[in-house]
Amino acid sequence: MNQTIYPDRARVDARDKVRGVTRFAADMPMQRVAHAMTVPSRIVRGRLAAVDIDAARAVDGVLAVLTWRDFKGVKSAGYLMGGGFGFQSHQPMLSDRLVHRGEPIALVVAETLEIAIEAAALVEASYEEEQFAALLGDTRAEVLAPQPGHDMGDAQAVLASATFRVDAEYLSPAQFQNPMEMIATVAEWRDGTLTIHEGTQNSGALKFGMAAALGLDPARVRVESAYLGGGFGQKNSLQGQTVLAARAAMLLGRPVKLVMPRAQLFHTASFRPASRHRIRLGADADGRIVAASYDADMQNSRPDTFRASFSEITARLYAIPNYTSTARLVRTDVQSPGYMRAPFEHPAAFAFESAVDELAYAAGRDPLAFRLANDAETDPVTGHPFSSRFLAECLRDGAERFGWSRRDPAPGSMRAADGTLIGWGVAAGAYKAAMAPAIARLRVRADGTTRISLSGHEMGQGIRTAIFAAVTDGLAIDPARVEIVIGDPDAAPQHVTAGSWGTASSVPVVRRAVQAMQARFEEFRDGRPIRGTIHEMLARWRRPYIEVESRLQAPGQPDTVFDRLQRGLPAAAGPEYEPFVSFSYIAHFVEVRVEPTTRHVRVPRIVSVVDCGRIVSPRTAESQVRGGVVWGIGAALRETAEIDPRFGGVLNNDFAEYVVPVNADIGAIEVGFIDRPDPLLNEAGVKGLGEVAMVGVAAAIGNAIFHATGRRLRELPIRIEHLF
Amino acid sequence: MRPFTYARATSIDGIHAVQSATGARILAGGTTLYDLMKLGIETPGHLVDVTSIAGLDEIRSHQDELIFGALVTMSDAAAHPAVLQRAPVLAESLSKAASPQLRNMATLAGNLLQRTRCAYFRNGPEYPCNKRMPGSGCAALDGLDRGHALFGGSRSCIAVYPGDWAVALAALDATVDVHGSRGMRTLEVANLHRLPGDTPHLETVLEPDEMILNIRVPVGRLGQASTYHKIRDRESYAFALVSAAVALELDDGMVRQARIALGGVATRPWRVPAAEAALAGQRLDRAAALEAGRVAFADARPGQHNGFKVALGTAAVADALMIAAERSPSR
Ligand SMILES: Cc1cc2nc3c(=O)[nH]c(=O)nc-3n(C[C@H](O)[C@H](O)[C@H](O)COP(=O)(O)OP(=O)(O)OC[C@H]3O[C@@H](n4cnc5c(N)ncnc54)[C@H](O)[C@@H]3O)c2cc1C
Ligand code: SF4
Repeated sequence: MNQTIYPDRARVDARDKVRGVTRFAADMPMQRVAHAMTVPSRIVRGRLAAVDIDAARAVDGVLAVLTWRDFKGVKSAGYLMGGGFGFQSHQPMLSDRLVHRGEPIALVVAETLEIAIEAAALVEASYEEEQFAALLGDTRAEVLAPQPGHDMGDAQAVLASATFRVDAEYLSPAQFQNPMEMIATVAEWRDGTLTIHEGTQNSGALKFGMAAALGLDPARVRVESAYLGGGFGQKNSLQGQTVLAARAAMLLGRPVKLVMPRAQLFHTASFRPASRHRIRLGADADGRIVAASYDADMQNSRPDTFRASFSEITARLYAIPNYTSTARLVRTDVQSPGYMRAPFEHPAAFAFESAVDELAYAAGRDPLAFRLANDAETDPVTGHPFSSRFLAECLRDGAERFGWSRRDPAPGSMRAADGTLIGWGVAAGAYKAAMAPAIARLRVRADGTTRISLSGHEMGQGIRTAIFAAVTDGLAIDPARVEIVIGDPDAAPQHVTAGSWGTASSVPVVRRAVQAMQARFEEFRDGRPIRGTIHEMLARWRRPYIEVESRLQAPGQPDTVFDRLQRGLPAAAGPEYEPFVSFSYIAHFVEVRVEPTTRHVRVPRIVSVVDCGRIVSPRTAESQVRGGVVWGIGAALRETAEIDPRFGGVLNNDFAEYVVPVNADIGAIEVGFIDRPDPLLNEAGVKGLGEVAMVGVAAAIGNAIFHATGRRLRELPIRIEHLF
Repeated sequence: MRPFTYARATSIDGIHAVQSATGARILAGGTTLYDLMKLGIETPGHLVDVTSIAGLDEIRSHQDELIFGALVTMSDAAAHPAVLQRAPVLAESLSKAASPQLRNMATLAGNLLQRTRCAYFRNGPEYPCNKRMPGSGCAALDGLDRGHALFGGSRSCIAVYPGDWAVALAALDATVDVHGSRGMRTLEVANLHRLPGDTPHLETVLEPDEMILNIRVPVGRLGQASTYHKIRDRESYAFALVSAAVALELDDGMVRQARIALGGVATRPWRVPAAEAALAGQRLDRAAALEAGRVAFADARPGQHNGFKVALGTAAVADALMIAAERSPSR
């Protein structure tokens, strides 16, 4: 087990980032780069009857205006969850068929961005419009047959006879990731090789997806994704625009840059779909949860099947012996939804942890004591042990830090001197501890440098810092000259970085590489005395470098997963491993203050305590939790896409109107870590952190609002109008 | 965005001539104009940048009047000691608006002429909008109207006037000096904006060749006991869901004069004389303040999604009155 206690250290890229030195894709300096702009479709669904590009082409400085007729021979790279590489199977501009609002119908390429924008506005189109469904509840939406989820015991029968019962429906809206860095591609076609610069979480899928789309040999496609300005799942696969930019670069023989405008990203990239959750819970007279049923509806696109998985965590948060769940997918005319941070777990925890709170009140129990009393010791789904589970410790430690014992449980009972209503709420969260296969190559050179290349993408979460911590732990190398190469499929095969498996997949494989390096070094040393660093010894021995390779897969994964890794396909595993089950856990304690007159809700403080195994990079880990909690506050109180069912599309498609929290909305966030290494999942003892951080925040806030006001609010976001 | 020409003016002489000859638009901080040009809503062929004209960026504090040059930035006005002291309602209406970056660029005259945030208006020709395209209809009437008007709407348009500063100015009976081909004239801020009626695309009474030079605010006994109370979806960087600009003159706890203007709920800055009258001669306590709030919203005509603003606005007016009263030199 990993005994290392990792020291606090700054991000390895902090200095460069604050000085603006770090290069993101759109910053790549490039000779003769041409600028592209998309023309969005103005209908939701139908056929592009005609497109008039003459006026656009006549603008001085326009190099080309491409329409679907210029994409003959280009194919869709397929849907990521269906064996392909794209966030959706529908690749815009391959035909005149239009399936969602805002999809590009033309691409203008010009000498400057301003010219491209001007000309794009001059493209005129006519459409044959068809009827469509914009929303989950739309009558024209297609509701698929319910799919069974997790199922244990006989939930319906036990529910019917339970002493205390809750039966309620919870709603979660469509939301958009909105990373600061917009999705941007710079495509270069030179000497038969295509190079894509793009901030992506999945450079492997881009490499093989672009090869598939354009009919190229994957060896002729290079992808570079050294840094992302945030991804949150929106950049986890091939984007339609990448194909457009690449095609333009190949036709023009010039590098082409395409930065999608913020407003268009609400329609051309993935998002968190709207969902509806009906939860029934039953408890016995002793306050034990005896049964739960969970039926969900989740929005989907027409062409793709993005499966719902709301029961993965909710079947296991507590020791509930009888559990049943279904999910219905609802097809609407939107781009395909996907994995936005804690994709299922955030809405599931809002619904389930609100319902558990309701049940605690129905049973007359303290919500914290109720949760502790229902903790699970083994996995209720498989009967297998958890590799590690410190949820109760998170709850106890959080309660202690928060001062929960001073809480008066009666709703509306706590008030500040000026009459402000005070509410304290708690909720738990979990997220699968997943791992993906990885291959690392470590080279220590006599010239004082070290290079480690492996799978991983730096989206700001701090993966470089974690890798740095692992590579400098136990190796006598110069820490100032370590080069970390990630997001480059030609340096090492790249797996999508998502699902909180980044650290759990990269740190253990780096530790293995370090051990291999130590062993090789000992072989060379052959008993000779050590004086100085490995670099100095190599110089003395006149060896230019030592290189080792290590590989690692998730427990129980066959070696064939490396083939998938090498081909840019998803190959992660978890939470069920043979013969154990792995999750990360979190407990959130929230104080809200509600103005008695205007009912304005504020969140002055939150305490969040996490069990994510061993902490490798304390500072970036804490920052992950803060970020997740901030997002949870936004998701609970602000974030929603305004969609008019008559028109489809998102109306509040900019940062002025898509309301996320500002600094002034955020109070104190105290973060605690259990920091106990997981003994089974991997040799670093790491589980995962990024996603679990926001799971349960919204429920804790809703529960606190109930405690403050006596109002149980079951629809996100909870806005001021809901309190009148 | 369409191509346009640009020129910088150094004096007000002749600007109106350029305006009438070329249909030019005045460019101040650009935070509204450029935004709307990028959205394709404003398509001027020529811009006259007035920010280099000398003498229009001063704030003068006279005995009975504060005078703001048209080019004073929002941030400078919000931080000005005389404004903070003599008319906090003005300073707060500015400091609670937009973001620091915008306030550093935006001017006080430009601010008055900002346009609605109605999403249908801003989002393009696929949405019917009489303001953007006269005669095309109004998508908001049967649509997402959470941000739309409870006062002053018509069957053609229910778009809210989004600004804060003009609401505070209306409460204090401020005026603007404007200059054009017909010379100088002075207008009340409260009458600067039109009701939408059947012509929502016509938003102000300014002639196309007129330029605002000064904003004058009478501050005598009214001013110090004032506040701008703004309720929004987040603590900063959001337009008002409801706001109340309030100024009081109190005498021993009794209201001698009250001024109340509402923001975020009307098609233009909205004075509520009935609520002001209801307070006159009353002792200002919580009950009287709430009653004034109720009177202020008595004629509200909510739509589908903005009905909560009646109760919210009532509370906001009441809270604003209590805050303003706290600031009265003679309570
Ligand atoms: C994201 C965002 C959030 C915002 N939030 C708020 C908010 O919360 N509250 C709020 O009140 N405002 C808000 N605003 C609006 C902002 O305050 C205005 O954009 C700004 O005040 C306009 O001033 P400007 O100098 O930039 O005007 P410009 O953009 O230069 O001009 C605006 C208009 O006024 C005309 N004009 C300018 N000066 C004169 C003059 N002297 N005489 C005649 N016509 C003139 C121009 O021709 C143009 O039509 C926000 C704006 C943005 C973009
Ligand atoms: S409310 Fe006014 S601005 Fe909005 S859509 Fe209707 S006409 Fe246009």
